[in-house]
Amino acid sequence: MPTTVITGRDLALTINSVSYDAQATSVALTVEQTREIYQTLDGRAYKVTDANSTLTVEMLADWGATGSLCESLWTAANSAPNTAIAFSFTAATGAVFTGNVFPTFPSPNGTAPDAQTVSLTFQVESTPTGTFS
Amino acid sequence: MPSNIATDVRAALATALSGVAANVYSYVPETVTPPAVAILYTDPMMELLLINKSTTKVKLNFVISAAVAYNSNPASLDNLEQLIISILAAIPAGYEIGSVSRPSVSEVGAAILLVSDITLSTYYTQTL
Repeated sequence: MPTTVITGRDLALTINSVSYDAQATSVALTVEQTREIYQTLDGRAYKVTDANSTLTVEMLADWGATGSLCESLWTAANSAPNTAIAFSFTAATGAVFTGNVFPTFPSPNGTAPDAQTVSLTFQVESTPTGTFS
Repeated sequence: MPSNIATDVRAALATALSGVAANVYSYVPETVTPPAVAILYTDPMMELLLINKSTTKVKLNFVISAAVAYNSNPASLDNLEQLIISILAAIPAGYEIGSVSRPSVSEVGAAILLVSDITLSTYYTQTL
């Protein structure tokens, strides 16, 4: 069986049906579980009681551009911060993670003379759904 | 009409630099008439820094070589400094400007030139 290699070129990300591929330099979906450990007479027992997911995106800023992702995110975070929006994150062909994230404010910033970048950490509403085919 | 780097990046940059007091080339010229500005690639020429491959998106790394005639050291250095400052002022938005190399003397054909390189980068998306 040949070795499988997946790179950033295989990734695709849409949030609120808008593709982030043209601006995103990295994407990470992280699910952290809260696991309780009980010491029983039979030994240790484990129970997951919660899971928290975040979607982290590093992207080149596009303030002022037509269809700006930064501007639409800012508007969403400002006008409807409690309304989750759908996302779809393709890790590779046949492995797609979907769910809802709450909008977050992008931070306008800059370091001379580099390209402006934006780091976003979205709170995911619940555990994302993985679809594997 | 598909985009291309020659027209949409190098020629566009050369046009933006056309206001400086020098001959501007968007490629390596066969002969150089100083003062001159040439847009050349540096290493790595292109980098893939964005996700997804459905559209080819690359970071292009250039140097702008600024060259003046090397006749007298103080005057040539002054001319080169002025040329570099005018180039820096003319570089449009959307370019990361790196550093300016120390001047060096180069012999191109019969011409002796005082040359400095300005590194800069930009992003290019291929459209069909």
